[in-house]
Amino acid sequence: MKQLHINPVYKKELKTSVRSMKIALTLLAYNGLLALIGLVSFYGLFESARYSGMDHSMLLMIYAILVIMEFGLILFVIPAYTSSAISGERERQTLEILLTTSMKPSQIIRGKLFSSISTVLLLVFSSLPVLSLVFSIGGVSLGDLMKYVVLVLVTAVYAGSFGLLFSVIFKKTTVSTVFTYGILVVLGIGTVALLLVIYLLMDQYYTAQSIHGGQYQNPDLGYGVCLLLFNPGVSIGALLFGQFGSMGEFGEVIHALGTVPEFLTKHWFVISLIVQAVTAALLLTLAATLLNPLKRNEGKRAGKKEKRKIGG
Amino acid sequence: MVQIDRLCKSYGSFHALDGLNLSIEKGELFGFVGPNGAGKTTTMRIISGLLRADSGTVMVDGVDARRDTRRVKEKIGYMPDFFGVYDNLKALEYMEFFASIYGIEGREARRLCLELMDLVNLGDKADAYVDGLSRGMKQRLCLARSLVHNPELLILDEPASGLDPRARFEMKGILRNLSEMGKTIIVSSHILPELAEMCTTIGIIEHGKMVVSGTVDSIMAGVNRQNPLIIRVVGELDTAVRLLKESPLVANLSMAEQELYVSLQSSTASAFSGGIQTENLLQEEEEEAALLTALIQGGVRISSYTREKGNLESVFMQITEEQEAEE
Repeated sequence: MKQLHINPVYKKELKTSVRSMKIALTLLAYNGLLALIGLVSFYGLFESARYSGMDHSMLLMIYAILVIMEFGLILFVIPAYTSSAISGERERQTLEILLTTSMKPSQIIRGKLFSSISTVLLLVFSSLPVLSLVFSIGGVSLGDLMKYVVLVLVTAVYAGSFGLLFSVIFKKTTVSTVFTYGILVVLGIGTVALLLVIYLLMDQYYTAQSIHGGQYQNPDLGYGVCLLLFNPGVSIGALLFGQFGSMGEFGEVIHALGTVPEFLTKHWFVISLIVQAVTAALLLTLAATLLNPLKRNEGKRAGKKEKRKIGG
Repeated sequence: MVQIDRLCKSYGSFHALDGLNLSIEKGELFGFVGPNGAGKTTTMRIISGLLRADSGTVMVDGVDARRDTRRVKEKIGYMPDFFGVYDNLKALEYMEFFASIYGIEGREARRLCLELMDLVNLGDKADAYVDGLSRGMKQRLCLARSLVHNPELLILDEPASGLDPRARFEMKGILRNLSEMGKTIIVSSHILPELAEMCTTIGIIEHGKMVVSGTVDSIMAGVNRQNPLIIRVVGELDTAVRLLKESPLVANLSMAEQELYVSLQSSTASAFSGGIQTENLLQEEEEEAALLTALIQGGVRISSYTREKGNLESVFMQITEEQEAEE
């Protein structure tokens, strides 16, 4: 019987990672923190219910807090695993050997990505008991939870693709990690901040025009708001607004910034996942191309290093 | 097995390889020697698909290394000069990891990996963690790893560097075994005597060019011919000196007590730039014989007629110095 061929890098990464303390400590910290937040939230909810009755909107709030916390933790964990994936091999001097095997660079990248996603899946599944506490009182369906899991997976691939790309580009893991966290901050906060700044500048401009006799008009960023499709924070916002039945309010916020078709705001969650998945695919392709030693542009830096290294 | 034609590689203004030509036959244990920075590692990295050449061609078993990298990689087992190992991985698992890259899995992989570990005398270290092995053991494990897909060509970049004498000895033994098994092996070092003991052929590289290549004996013979003939004469030296000065074969003559040091015209003309030519050697031997006959026929009594012999270190120094002088 033909054996199932699993990506060798993925298999090796799984084997070595389960033997390291890193994964055990991550699991402990991750679930410990979530459990603590869950405990405090539920304790507060039930304590207040003793005096003023059960407020079901509070239950949804607890769900939102848990989900956002978990999402944030995953965004925090993913760069730690992916930004060292290739640069770590380079630092350990194991990358060269891998590249002389018949393994394609894209297979190496895929193996590294899958192992990071496996870690995220492990974290998500291990935290499901805490999240499923919200079922005990109702308000959130299994479908809602599944949508959330899909979001986490896409975000893991999306954030992981940045980590992998930077770990290919930069020789040092420290630099790669800084850049990966940096880009996530830019995507999460920078995109919103940029649009708000542009919005406020436009508002100032129109206000100044109206003072000088012109007609004031509301600032409209138009399709500029599509930049937020790259923001995982807005994606989880769209998911939660949808699950709470407040998609209209989410649409109003987007429309307040720029006029876009209704279809976009209505299906923001799905569209943003598609945009992020496509971006991740492009980044991973680029990472695989750059990893190929014969396709990578030999810069002066590489030359200097080679001159130092060559024993002949 | 390996044909390299006019290979060039530059890093900025530094020419690591400057039109390197090299030919290695199947089954050869080829020693690639040169001082640090001569271009050995660059050549090996280009053959292994880790570096792109600026120009020139590299053919491995008839396959163009630039066009069909994947096929070439399947034919090659590469061991770099510096390499690391994975933490939290046992020696057998390390081997199985590389076996799985080539699609060898399960029991077959285990059997093969254990066989290869036995071959490099690591059979008892299967369950040891790789990062806990000694440097020599890691080198041997890496060698076994490079054999996992049964490559026809082994490229080993300074495999004995950093090893203690015992580990060096073991490594040499393993390489000889592999050579006897029919593998073509390219092994680099900057120490000529180290390679001369085990290699069937040697190539000396300097400033990105192949200075000389051939068997150790032919290289030694070529270099020795550049040393002066030492003729020890019994009795008066005058006749011998006169005959030698009159001879058109003699380029230089000096004397010390009863010994005459003679450099032949043909020896001084044959530099290493063109490599060792068998015809040149034969011609020089003919001239040596003719000179001896002329001296004896002229009534000179000779007690010894020999040539100063160099050792491998001096050969290496002589060849590389000649190159420096030419440049």
